[in-house]
Amino acid sequence: MRHVPRAMFYLRLVAAQLEMSTLTALQYRLGFWTEGLLGLLWSVIGIAPLFVAVDHLGAVEGWGRWELVVLTGCFTILSGLFTAVLQPALRESMTHILKGTLDYVLLRPADGLVLCLTCAFQPWHLVEVLGGLVLVIAGLWLGEVEVTATGLLAGLATGAAGLMALYAFGVLVLCASFRALQLQALTHVMEALMDFGRWPAQVFPPVLRLLFTFVIPLLVMTSYPAEALLGRLSWGTVAELAAVSATLLVLARLAWVRSVRGYTSASS
Amino acid sequence: MTAAMVRVEGLCKRFSVPRREAGLRAALRALVRREYRVVEAVRDLEFSLAPGERVGFLGPNGAGKTTTLKMLAGLIVPSAGRVEVAGFTPSDRRPEFLRRVSLVMGQKRQLSWDLPAIDNFEFNRVVYEIDPVHYKRRLEELTALLDVGEVMRRPVRQLSLGERMKCELVAALLHGPQVLFLDEPTIGLDVSMQLGIREFIRRYNAEHGATVILTSHYMEDVAALCPRILVIDGGRLRFDGSIEALRRQIRPLRRVSVRAAALPDDPTAMGRVVLREGGRLVLDVAPERVPEVVGALVALPEAQDLAVQDAPLEEVMRALFGREEAAELG
Repeated sequence: MRHVPRAMFYLRLVAAQLEMSTLTALQYRLGFWTEGLLGLLWSVIGIAPLFVAVDHLGAVEGWGRWELVVLTGCFTILSGLFTAVLQPALRESMTHILKGTLDYVLLRPADGLVLCLTCAFQPWHLVEVLGGLVLVIAGLWLGEVEVTATGLLAGLATGAAGLMALYAFGVLVLCASFRALQLQALTHVMEALMDFGRWPAQVFPPVLRLLFTFVIPLLVMTSYPAEALLGRLSWGTVAELAAVSATLLVLARLAWVRSVRGYTSASS
Repeated sequence: MTAAMVRVEGLCKRFSVPRREAGLRAALRALVRREYRVVEAVRDLEFSLAPGERVGFLGPNGAGKTTTLKMLAGLIVPSAGRVEVAGFTPSDRRPEFLRRVSLVMGQKRQLSWDLPAIDNFEFNRVVYEIDPVHYKRRLEELTALLDVGEVMRRPVRQLSLGERMKCELVAALLHGPQVLFLDEPTIGLDVSMQLGIREFIRRYNAEHGATVILTSHYMEDVAALCPRILVIDGGRLRFDGSIEALRRQIRPLRRVSVRAAALPDDPTAMGRVVLREGGRLVLDVAPERVPEVVGALVALPEAQDLAVQDAPLEEVMRALFGREEAAELG
């Protein structure tokens, strides 16, 4: 056996998992093009209302019209990543738990959590991510926002923290399905909850803001990265948000380890 | 002395399972307050296996065979006791351990349904970090042995059960495991496919020296493949030894059959009559009396098809699991 550094191994592993999902998507030609068309439609339907309403958008709690477009862009990126990468992996892993085929995942000589979180992928939904990027760039440009290097860095750091928080939340949902089977619907609940991320943090009453920052950190995923890009977020807040995400990740990892130790497999 | 490949000491597994009475009222009550019952799936198992051994786990449904297998593979964490496989504690699930073992389950599949098996093999090459040259050689060897060169290029969903099981075996063996766990690998297969899989496992064991642990409801699988069997019932080890030893212990009588133009008037003097039909007589005879009985049967007019056999394994198992003395086996 060749001894490759573990980081390289995991990069290859994730690439192989993505390749398997892409091969599966390509296996059925009609399905591939239908999925593609639906993915495009889904993205357009998600963004279209914004184009219709942008002229009528007024300021919301200190957010101007184009700043709201940036926020929508951040939300769309995150939502696209969720539907392209996280949601299919969660659903596939939950099916593995339900059917007992998680046995084969856990028997592979790699981190079971990495295997679960990369086991399925819907490439067409990445169109949504591209759409979100376009919205962010358009919002910044049309709003004549000067993005500084530190603002960009803070935006990326907060976005990464948001993504970590999303994954941590996903892992906690996955762990719940070890105890209560047939929880695939929870991924739809996650999707519905994410809609709160369309709005700026300031529109929420203090209790909900705390809830959506520290318990279900939707605002860490969308509102705060947009604020950071707009240069309105202090580094102290960025650090706090990173700490929230790191804490959630640690909790999610502990929950995963506990779940796998309690795994009873399905009878054969 | 060779170190054991598998060592099990005082192994126990308890599951907490929900229970309720029948009916809607009980179901509604269980929504609020659920009662649990502790089930001891495995109790105080002790055994060890040498490298390269082929061992069969036998037992009725729910005996604890698969739970034991899954604890050995590291999938289920034991409630008590100690397990060591290839020098590792399985439940730690260290990559070095997982590279040394493989599990094939007849009722579950690891191959992706929509893709050809060859894509799945390639994925396993990455996961198990198999050197490409070694991988190519190994794949050629396994596909030739199992005759799946063409089959592995078709989507798994289009394969017959037997073809799929062969591909499952290739996927499980590409990384060259030292210990192979087989849970009902021939379930649902036709007789010729069962024979093919059996022959492959025997050959693989002989050529690679892998330890093979098998559970199967087909007694013939176990009889043909495993010189040693462990009988598990009620989570306990009831017997550890060869099939012949088990037969001698449970059904010591030999089965003697003959066909003749005329049968003896009172064959009960020779042994227990199993069948007397037309010109055919089947008797269960005490081992020490076999020469005498055979002599008497050969002397019958037009005697032919005389055979002396052990009791069929199915009958032995039926007798074993159907009687109280099972608890006293050791």
